[in-house]
Amino acid sequence: MAENPSQQLFDLWKKQAEDAGQAWLKMLGQQGQPVDPQAFWRPFMDQGMAAWSKVMTQGSASPDLMAQWKQFIDQWIAAWAKVLEQAMSTEAFAQAMGKQLESFLSVAAPAKKAAEQQIESALSALGVPSRGQVVAVASQIVQLEEKIEGLEDRLDTILKRLNELSSAVRAERV
Amino acid sequence: MKDHLFTMTPEVPGLPPEMRERMQEELRRNFLRMKHFSEMVMTPKEPEVGPTPREEIYRKNKSRLWRYASRRTAGAPLLFVPNLGISRPYIFDLMPGGSFIEYMTRQGFDFYLVDWGVFGPEDNGLTVEDAVTKILPRMAKKALESSGASEMSVLGYCMGAPLSACFLATHPEFPLKNYIDMAGPFDFAHVGLFGTWLDPRFFDVDRYVDTLGSIPADMVKLGFKLLKPTMDLSTNLNLWWNLWNPEYVSGFNALNKWANEYLPFPGEFFRHWVKDFYQGNKLIKGELVMAGRTVRLETISCPVLAVGAKEDNIAPPNCVKPLVQVVSSRDREYVELPGGHISLIAGRGASVHCWPKVAGWLASRS
Repeated sequence: MAENPSQQLFDLWKKQAEDAGQAWLKMLGQQGQPVDPQAFWRPFMDQGMAAWSKVMTQGSASPDLMAQWKQFIDQWIAAWAKVLEQAMSTEAFAQAMGKQLESFLSVAAPAKKAAEQQIESALSALGVPSRGQVVAVASQIVQLEEKIEGLEDRLDTILKRLNELSSAVRAERV
Repeated sequence: MKDHLFTMTPEVPGLPPEMRERMQEELRRNFLRMKHFSEMVMTPKEPEVGPTPREEIYRKNKSRLWRYASRRTAGAPLLFVPNLGISRPYIFDLMPGGSFIEYMTRQGFDFYLVDWGVFGPEDNGLTVEDAVTKILPRMAKKALESSGASEMSVLGYCMGAPLSACFLATHPEFPLKNYIDMAGPFDFAHVGLFGTWLDPRFFDVDRYVDTLGSIPADMVKLGFKLLKPTMDLSTNLNLWWNLWNPEYVSGFNALNKWANEYLPFPGEFFRHWVKDFYQGNKLIKGELVMAGRTVRLETISCPVLAVGAKEDNIAPPNCVKPLVQVVSSRDREYVELPGGHISLIAGRGASVHCWPKVAGWLASRS
């Protein structure tokens, strides 16, 4: 009996989450070592808390404090963006993403086929044209349009040559 | 009630008057933030985009050629070739006062926009070669006929730049006046994150296309969101910060509408785009062949301007600049302007840096 596509997708999602975690640790050079959830975030937290302490010692709440807080958040986000960009520009990340995509395609192909077959059967039973049939008609219209434009181009070429010929004949008569 | 609220700042001993004014202003802004937020949530309005008047000149399958008329004081008309798929072209005509097309028509350029359209599953067989050798030549011909001009300038933006350059290099008979590359990648060896992710060692484009048929809009969106994962966070933070400003809110609504409307890629087009350009880098190497003709960028000899954006992570400056090194034009220039891939051509900064530069460069050569 064929595996349930929904269960396959759920298993895939679960495996992807696990693989993503391992890949992330591997990129940061922590594979094989005991997982320390704080290792990645500690520099940001230390930096953030230091900046926050500085802001809080500057006095009571004021519009300046709001602007400073916004600036602090902007800088924090910029720091995150930079680290994430560095991590995502590595071949390890590209490889991990490629593997995830391949896993997705392995499940998506049969799931898509099964879904298309079911929908086509249902539409056929209702006497409604299927997506494939509508797409086929649309493709034929596109091809027809192309042929008509080809005819247009040939007519333009013929007319152009006729004009050139008649100009040449007039020039000879003169 | 509103005015009374803003003067309700308590008399705090020792609070300087200017501090009191600033606190009142902040209170006013907070009130406006809540007001605009509730309006956005309770009575959302569809932003009006594409304000510049236009007429449809030509239609081929899903693609349209639009003409934006001007007083024709600047000389040769301009054919604008944007990216195929990915996003809608109304970003170039986003809102009054914030439209590249409006600006150029006011400068006196007759503006012709190639709108590639939204391709469906029946177009999955469309290739890069079809776009370059069948669609673009017809669009260019119709634009020239419509304008009645003997020559035309061409501006390619993003993917539209290599596509239009391939067309011009394989059709030297086209009366090209000037060529502009705006944030268009030519040397894909320096294309940044996309180049790494689409490396053939990690990305099997054949399997991807054969399985999915076309590249769904959601996949395209995911790819671009991954380029800057913190973008949504900073966008929403800036929105909250500027929510008191009605001009900012209307600009945000228009840009947000565009930023969430992604388009699918025809499958074969994506296959060839990735294989020949990203993976093979055939364009800059002179190895690309279209309809039996080798694409030689050196056949472009008209004045050329290449515009790179300093913070562009989709077409970094190092992949835009090589164009001016391979064309055979005597008059060629590369400029690097502030901004990212989109903000180069759309946004407040664009109207200060990019638009005047492009219009001025064209005007002096038209």
